[in-house]
Amino acid sequence: MNTKKNIDRLFQEKFKDFEAAPSDAVWGRINESLPKKKKKRRVVALWWQIGGVAAVLALLLTVGVSVFNADYNSSNDLPIVNTEDSSQKNSDKNNTPITSPEDKQNEISNLKTYPLELVNSYKSEESLGDNKKEETPQKNNSSKQLTSTNTSSHTNAIVNTSYKKDKTTTPQKRYNLTTIKDKDKPTNVVGNTKTNNSVLENSKNDTLAADAELKSAIKKTIEDNKTAVVDNKKSNNTDTETSDTKSADTKNTDGTDINVTVIEDLKKQSIESAITENIKNINEKENKESRWSIKPNVAPVYFSSLGQGSSIDDQFNENSKSSDINMSYGIASTYAISKKLKIRAGVNHLNLNQKTSDVFAFTSGEFAARGALSHMGNINTRDGLHNVALMSSSMFNRSSTPEIFNTKITGDIEQRFGFIEVPLELEYRILDKKFGINVIGGFSTFFLNANEVYADVNGTSTLIGKANNINSTSFSANFGLGLDYTLSKQWNINLEPQFKYQLNTFNNTSGDFRPFIVGVYIGLNFKF
Amino acid sequence: MSLDRLIKKCIDQDTQAQSQLYKQYASKLFSLCLKYSKNYAEAEDNLHDAFITVFSKINQYNNKGSFEGWLKRIAINTSLQRYREDVGVYDIINEGNIEDVSVDIDNKNVSITFLLEIIQDLPDRYRLVFNLYVLDGYSHVEISELINISTGTSKSNLARARLILRNKIEDYNASSNSQSSQ
Repeated sequence: MNTKKNIDRLFQEKFKDFEAAPSDAVWGRINESLPKKKKKRRVVALWWQIGGVAAVLALLLTVGVSVFNADYNSSNDLPIVNTEDSSQKNSDKNNTPITSPEDKQNEISNLKTYPLELVNSYKSEESLGDNKKEETPQKNNSSKQLTSTNTSSHTNAIVNTSYKKDKTTTPQKRYNLTTIKDKDKPTNVVGNTKTNNSVLENSKNDTLAADAELKSAIKKTIEDNKTAVVDNKKSNNTDTETSDTKSADTKNTDGTDINVTVIEDLKKQSIESAITENIKNINEKENKESRWSIKPNVAPVYFSSLGQGSSIDDQFNENSKSSDINMSYGIASTYAISKKLKIRAGVNHLNLNQKTSDVFAFTSGEFAARGALSHMGNINTRDGLHNVALMSSSMFNRSSTPEIFNTKITGDIEQRFGFIEVPLELEYRILDKKFGINVIGGFSTFFLNANEVYADVNGTSTLIGKANNINSTSFSANFGLGLDYTLSKQWNINLEPQFKYQLNTFNNTSGDFRPFIVGVYIGLNFKF
Repeated sequence: MSLDRLIKKCIDQDTQAQSQLYKQYASKLFSLCLKYSKNYAEAEDNLHDAFITVFSKINQYNNKGSFEGWLKRIAINTSLQRYREDVGVYDIINEGNIEDVSVDIDNKNVSITFLLEIIQDLPDRYRLVFNLYVLDGYSHVEISELINISTGTSKSNLARARLILRNKIEDYNASSNSQSSQ
């Protein structure tokens, strides 16, 4: 059976269908050394997330819009009432607990303490001790920062008492008081991770503590004066000095009165200054985070369609169409969800137009000759203009049509429409330097606010009517790239080329009419 | 899943698609690697390296020519790579062409395992040249470019490889014949 065989052929035949399965371990090793697509996957996942969020928002908005339309009045009234209520409540919370009740308490306590002082002036030290005891629960409740502020208010009180000894330096001392508070408060706020309310509460405690100190200070001065009076009364025994001491006595009593009123003034002022401090601090805290920003913007926008088609009538599908560069302007506010991700909403005013070229416009007389073809796809002609018909010039074969058409100059149909656009978009920051890059995705809701169709023939434009196929509410899917340049901590300028694919703006379109808007949004962003 | 889709998913580094692609082509490429390698272990290493290259460069596959061909070229190139780095000093004997080397064989007796074994036992460059020329259809010019030798060297290497292989097969036949006759 041995055959002389060419060695090449032997190997070729044998190896033709030769396959050998490698051991499973090989795939294991390959799989291990393959780069895991973490980066890519994250980007993909992010887009899925953005898409998901956008879809959910779109769903909510459509539901919202339908509800809004169905029950216009009730849904319109409720939020306004609510906001007013809540704001009032807030203002109530802000104002009343700090000012009026405490004032009342102070007055009451003052009233109580005066007679006590007169009877037993030495009890003032005990009452000072009581005040300290009152502070201790506050210390227990709040963190270490609060204790530090309490000690600072002690020093304030010391300043207060010294103030009573020489009245001439009052303004300066008062400034001292506030400046010391200035130094102490920010650390308190920074350390405090609780909400603004808790900050307010802390400051309330501060003022309470300060009040307690003030009260004790008042007691001290009264006490001093009392002892002075006692001394004076003792010295009354000597006849020669009586008149002088009496006058000194009266002076002293006057002095105490003045002291009391000034102290009360000071108290009010310190409370007021504490309130203003609080407001300042709250503002500062917000500034540090600056999650919110607002951005007025303008944009040249251009309207076009991806496919060949017409929103007016199928006879215009092939006609050339053009659009002017229109301006859109609006305002948007942005909230930073995280360092990289921001959500923003806004309102834009947007006017668009589209010119369909090579159109004949007929008025009644000419049209009669042509025959009845008055049905114009998607345009409702305005009253008193029944006899206008528009036709694409491509409908006519020039050689076979009457002379009148050949001499007639073709014109344009110009469709003008405007929207109030409410964009809702997510911004993802790719590059976070002085010069930043963002990817933007989201959607816009369009509310139609202008809708006109004009015929432009021989340079004159005539209003024909309006399109009946533009939805009063429609949506677009938005994609964009945001470039920004930081001017300062609060300001930056940005440039955002955006593509907005309109989803359901037009009904009953013909041909492949897929409208989109391209705009380059230029804005000035202010963080606050 | 269509091949296009599979490739696309592999470009996206989809692990499942990569696994499927591997399963689909591993044995074909492994047979190539076996031929071009000294032994099984080396063949596995080459297969590993080849697939790493495939997955990292799959985005460069431009749909021109068959995908399998592209994979095979990568597998062959990977196998050659090992020998490009240190092309040993081989006998520079130029014996001229020894064409039409034939051998007496009992077709049924010769197993593929034996043939693979004797290919793997060839000196490295003989093996490469023999594989490229005889089994994978490369011309001497292509071979000379691929492994950086002259076409003359390629031809002489091929002839030497053929001789060695013929001798081995004859020996094998002789031994098996003698075994069967005993």
